Parts: sequence; C-alpha cells; structure tokens
Amino acid sequence: MTAWLVRRVAAAIAIVWAVVTVTFVLLHLAPGTPFLPAAETPVDPAVLQRLRSQFGLDRPLPEQYARYLREIARGNLGESFALHRPVADALAEALPNTLTLAGAALCIEFVLGLALGVYQAARARRLGDVALGNATLFLYSVPTFWMGLLVLLVFGQWLRWFPVGGVVDVVTHESLPWAGRVADRLWHLALPAGTLGLVGAAGTARFERAAMLEVLGQDYVRTARAKGLPERRVVLGHALRNALLPFVTLFGLAFPFLLTGAVLVETVFAWPGMGRLAAEAIFRRDYPVVTAAAMLAGGMVVLGSLLADLLYAAADPRIRTGDG
Amino acid sequence: MRAPHAVRTSPSATVRLAVLGVLLLVACARREGCTGDYCGTLVIATAGEPQSLLPPLLTAAVDQAVSDQLFLRLADIGRSTNTVGDEDFQPQLAERWEWADSVTLVFHLDPRARWQDGRAVTATDVAFSFDAYNDPAVNSPFRAGVRAISAVTARDSLTAVFRFRKRYPEMFFDAVFHLRVLPAHLLRPIPRDQWSSAAFGRKPVGDGPYRFVSWKAGEQLELAADSTFFLGRPHLRRVIWRFTPDLQVAVTQLVADQADAIEVLGPPDNVKRVRAVPQLTLYPYRGATYGYLGFNLAANGDSSRPHPLFGDRELRRALVMAVDRERLLQNVWGDAAKVPPGPEPQLWWIWDPETRVLPHDTAQASRLLTRLGWRPSDHDGVRERRGNRLAFRIMVPTTSAIRRQYARLLQEQYRAIGAEVELDEVEPSVFLQRASAGRFDALIAAWNADPTPASSIAQTWTREGVGRSNYLRYLNPAFDGLVERASSGKGGRAATQRAWRQAIELLNQDAPAVFLYASENVAAVHRRVADVTIRPDSWLALLRTWRIPAERLIDRDRVER
Repeated sequence: MTAWLVRRVAAAIAIVWAVVTVTFVLLHLAPGTPFLPAAETPVDPAVLQRLRSQFGLDRPLPEQYARYLREIARGNLGESFALHRPVADALAEALPNTLTLAGAALCIEFVLGLALGVYQAARARRLGDVALGNATLFLYSVPTFWMGLLVLLVFGQWLRWFPVGGVVDVVTHESLPWAGRVADRLWHLALPAGTLGLVGAAGTARFERAAMLEVLGQDYVRTARAKGLPERRVVLGHALRNALLPFVTLFGLAFPFLLTGAVLVETVFAWPGMGRLAAEAIFRRDYPVVTAAAMLAGGMVVLGSLLADLLYAAADPRIRTGDG
Repeated sequence: MRAPHAVRTSPSATVRLAVLGVLLLVACARREGCTGDYCGTLVIATAGEPQSLLPPLLTAAVDQAVSDQLFLRLADIGRSTNTVGDEDFQPQLAERWEWADSVTLVFHLDPRARWQDGRAVTATDVAFSFDAYNDPAVNSPFRAGVRAISAVTARDSLTAVFRFRKRYPEMFFDAVFHLRVLPAHLLRPIPRDQWSSAAFGRKPVGDGPYRFVSWKAGEQLELAADSTFFLGRPHLRRVIWRFTPDLQVAVTQLVADQADAIEVLGPPDNVKRVRAVPQLTLYPYRGATYGYLGFNLAANGDSSRPHPLFGDRELRRALVMAVDRERLLQNVWGDAAKVPPGPEPQLWWIWDPETRVLPHDTAQASRLLTRLGWRPSDHDGVRERRGNRLAFRIMVPTTSAIRRQYARLLQEQYRAIGAEVELDEVEPSVFLQRASAGRFDALIAAWNADPTPASSIAQTWTREGVGRSNYLRYLNPAFDGLVERASSGKGGRAATQRAWRQAIELLNQDAPAVFLYASENVAAVHRRVADVTIRPDSWLALLRTWRIPAERLIDRDRVER
C-alpha cells in the first residue's frame, strides 16, 4: 500500500509539472500579448517595451521557463502583469471562494443525484422513472452558463428571491452579526452552487440509476427479496451499498468537471473565484496568473483523483490486496 | 417517542420555515441608524475592476471614476468640456492661477486642502507629482501628455510654477488634466520602479471628497465621504462599486434593484430593458468613443509596401461611397449613436456636422470601380482586375457584439458592389497585437478618446502615430501640417475649430476609413438620487453634488457600517 501511495504521489507531481510546462509553452506561443489595454486607447510602445523588460519577457523562452521553474521551487508564483500584486495573494483570495462553490455544488450533485438515481432504479420503467429520466437528460444537456443565466433571470430578476451575483451583500454584510453573515453567504451561494450542482446531479442520477439496476438484478438481491425483506430495505440496505462503489470513481471524475464548470458559473454569477480569475487572466495574457491557476487546478484534480483511489481501496478489499 | 399531539411538519413547510428564519435573521440584524441629508449609499454596478488606484498608473474607465473621488487635480474641466484656454476650467486644488508669461503658469493652492492623513497639500506635492509622471521608472501612460511641460517647481508651500516648452492652445489642459496630485510624504520612500506593486495602489490616501475604505478583489470597492472635505461635504455617505465580469450581469443587478447606478448601459437592448424599470432614470450624455472601418494602407504584415488594394486612394474612395452609414447605424444602434463627420467622438467640442464627407452613392462607387478596371466576373459577380479579385478580410474583436454586427452588414453592402469580404473574428488581445503590427487588410476599430482632439488625432492619424496607434499607416504630410496648425492654432476657439474642420475634411477626401458611429452613452441612476449631473468626460466627476433627500432614503442608505 505504501509503495502504491508513493508511486501515485510521484505520478501526481509529474502530472502537475507537465500541466505547468504545457500551459507555460502554449501561453507564450499563443497569439496576443500582455499589457495591452482592454480597448483601443493610445498606447506608448516605449511603455510596453519597459513592461516586457521589467517582467523578463524580452528574454528567450527557455530562459523564461527555467527562471519560472526556479521561482516556483522557491515558492514564488510571481507578480501578476495586470493586477499589480503577487499571484499568490490573488489566488489565496480566490481559492476559498472556488472551494466553497465547488464543495457546495458537489454536495448537491451527489446527494440529489444519488437520491434521484435510487428512486428511478426502484421504479424503473414506470412513469416517475421516465419523467425524471427525461428531466435529467434535459438538465444534463443544458450548457451550464445558459442554465446560470436562466436561473439568474428567474430567481434574481423576476422573483427577486436571491441576489444577482456576488459573495455577500456589499452594503449590509459588514454590519451583520456572525450568524447573519453566515446566512448572507449561504443566500449568495444558493444560485451558483444550485446551478452547478443541479447540472452535475443530472449526470450522477443517470449513472447511479444504471449502477443500481445492475445490482438489483444480482442473485443476492433476489435472495433478500425471497427472504421477505421489505423492498425499502432491499434497495437501501443491500443494493445501494454495492452500487455505491462505482460512485467513488465518479467522485474523482466530478471534481475536474466542477472546476471547468465553475469558470462559467463564476463569470455569470460574478463569483470571485479561481475560474473567473483565470478566465480574465487569459484574456489579458496575464501569464503568471494563468500558469499558477492551471498548476493549482491540476493539483486539485490530481488530489481528487488520488482521494477517489484511496476511497476505492478502502471500500473494496480486493484492490488493497491486489486481487482486483 | 413522539408526544401525542406533536405537530408534524411536512418537508416543504420545514424548508419554508428555515428560509423565513434566515431572512428574519438577516433583516433583524440590520442596524438602521442614519437619518438626514447625508445618509445616501450609492451602489454602482460595473463590468470591470480597477487594476491600481495609483493615479499615474490608471488605465480603465473605472480606475478613473474611482480616482476622481480620491485625488484632485489642480483644476478640472468645466461642463462644456472645452479644452482650449483656461476660461472654462473650474478650480480644485488650486484656488486661482495666472500666466506669468506666455509659457509660465502659476497656480496658487487652496490653503484648506488636506491629505486624508491630516497633512496639508503643498506645492512640493505638485512638483513631486510632475516628476513622478515624467519618470520612466514609473512608466506612466500619461507621460506623453505632460511632455510639453519642461519643469514644475514650488515657489513656496502654496505656489506651484509650470514652465512649458512652447505656447499652444491646450497648455492649461495638459497641465491639469493628466496630473492628479500625489502625496509626496507617503510615496517618496517607495522606490519608483516598485510603485506598480506598492500597497498604496490598493489602499490609497487621497485628498478628494471621498476616502478609501476597502477593496475586495473581484467583489467590491468602498469609499466613504470625507465630511471635512474643503470644497464641501459630499451628500452621499457611502459609494460602493460592485464588480462583475459581464455587462449583462451588471445591468441585471440594476434592474433587480441590487445596484443604484451604472456608467454606460451599452447596446440599445440594454437601454430598452432599463427604460421599462420604474425605479431607474436614464441619463444620456455625449460619448467618448467613435468606431470606423479602417483600411490598411500598407501591405498586410509588410509596412514597406503599399497594400495591393487599399494603397489606391480612388479605390478607397469607392469603398467609402459604397457604405450606407445611416442605414447601418439604424440597424445597429437605433438612435443611440450618430454618424460622425470624421474621426470624432460626440464628446469633442470640435464636433461639426457641417464637415464635408464623401457621399453615400453606390452608383458612383460602382462607376469608379469600373473606371479603375475592376469589372464583375461572369461566375460569381465579384469584381476582378488583371486576374486579381476585389476581395479582402475585415478583422473584428470577438468581444464586441456591435462591431461584429457592423462587420456582417458591411459584408452585405460590399457584396452589392462586387467586393468580396470575409471576416476575421479574433480575441481582443490578438486584435490589438495584429492591429499594432499591421497584420490585417481592414479592421473595425473603436477609439476611446480623451477630451481633446489634439493628442488623440495626432496619435491615431498622423506620422507621429505610426508604429503606435496609427494602425492604418495613413500618411499625408498635408494632413499632418493641418493637424499641427490646429493644435498650435492662434486666434481663439472659432479659428481653431475651423482649422480642425479643414484637417478632417482632407482626411475624409483621402478615405483611409469609413467613420461608422460615434456613440451616445446612457447612464442609469436610481430615481431616489437627486441633483444628478453627469460630465461627459468623466461621469462621476460631480458625484459629490449628487444627493438622496431624507424622505427618499431606503434601507441600504441607513445601514451603519
């Protein structure tokens, strides 16, 4: 087990290094250049040249790459071209917001997806199953940003039940007691996490339905029914436990999808997370921010996958012993 | 074991109770205190965020809007936005000024002016600021704007003396507009080459009507009124910018009553959407942007050779005459913009609808093309000459819906006269890079100009701008001479305006571009805000005079921080 863990961690480091390298090279080779204004306003080429020189962009690419790796090894992610501040500071502000959003969305996705999948499997091919199957297929097919805009329009503008974007109420938040602040944050989290979680839950439900249907056809389930156990106990007590195993793999796969989905949801809901930070940095060709964000996202995905593997090993003894 | 008469709530009722509880908690927790005439809170929705609040490093419109509240100029542009002479300028840090001679300007500072840490604003601050703006280590984009000033010195603590290299009509404008005065005692200890990342840029101390409170990246920036401001206490107590990455979300916040104001609503659809909202009032004002279809006069990617098509002046004239600019404008903007008489935004005081332009005349354009040897081919109707097709590409940025719409309509109009147009839709960063490098046939550009034509036209349309903002490589010594004459003109405002008109008419005859639109900005502000005055060059320049009468205060105005 220890050797396996060491191998996995080494592979994880190699993957993150590969992500950094590919991002660095592609960014520098891609058309477009940093330091340009967002719109056409007169720009002094001398100002641009001095900025390029200041950030070392006038050096050959291999030299820039070597210097970047050296600085990363020292724990220095560099200075943002556009934000006039250390990249580490910008990421440190954005990361908690993204983790909050992705964490809440993950909870919604798995709890709702699991419940729907089990419900559908238990009532397979009946009206409820067919209706939910169509509904989840629809949700799964909807682009996340479109869903976000729709939700914002209905619940933010028309019904006015929830705020239109942001993390907290900009006027009242500071004046609230701690419980009020928590409530305020949850109130702002509801729509973005709901959007991201709902789209994910649709996919999870379809996956879980298939897994449950497979398990419900097994001999031991038939035996449990033959013993006269109530159907509720058969489904939740016997079938569900075994149908949860592939679910762990899905957990590992869900995290990257949540991160990519978060880029769009954070933009639509003005949520100041990593996705929005990275998207804006890409448009501005803010190389240090994009590379650091890619490194962090890559690290989180690798970590999520590692966690899923560990959970899988814990859940299935055959994997621990190498029998599987 | 459940009590016999226990009430069992349904799940939906439980959810409803929970939501109600949360809302009550939030509502009850608000301490509502402020009353009177100085309680207003203005929440501004904005698509964008400042990069720094250090005045020499301001770039975007939102940077300037925030900075206008924090840092004063010596004098400010008047409501006429006239930039010639000094008669329309309003005193700010300087209570008065006089000309010692034709190239020496003396400012007398208002002795009441204070930095928000309590120190007096002095002439040393003014001299220090000029030195900083001029220092290559600071790398200020405004450095070019003050290059005509040779020195700024402090005669005494309240007298600053500006010396110019030459005499010209916009000397006063150059002295006061670009230069926001900086606190020398706070910035001097910071090495100039580290100013761009200095903490001061994210937590500034100013001398304006508002003081800095907080800035949460990606979320909000808050200022609070300085009740001791020497030019008069601002009425609005708190001003908060809400940052969103997208204009549509900003507009939705406004419509949903979660913001009070927005600088520019943008496309006509947004204006229509907000017009239907009863709590909002629209404020149209002259825009600083003009858009044009520009022809690259040099070969695509090789500035040493003329463009095979657009190097021909007569061909360009035919392409200008083929465009029905009024029809395009109606399709894209409705009544939210005007067809400009040249490279001019509505903001400029030289705007003159009587300026001569090439007429829209497709018949004449077709005849001219035929005369030049461009004849329709038999198979697809596209004109050809000596085996070459009349075909070119128009580059537009993907982020501008307006320009993409224009590009498609232009494609159709050019098809009608036998010109084949393909579109290159590219990312904004790529657009600007290719434009600067001359790697395009034609492009649709939109210039956001400062209030004076002198620097903007010189940088965009004369030899001075080649390699910088003169993307089209338009070179005409006669035009350059007229611009120089207009910029350094004598004889007052009317004569200067005539000189500009003459220059622009020559440019129009050379047809390096089709001037498509000069937009009108429309701001929206909540109806409870009174005395809203918008100055076209800087929409929040007069914010300190806006107010919310006591009887119109709503919950968010009363919240104590």
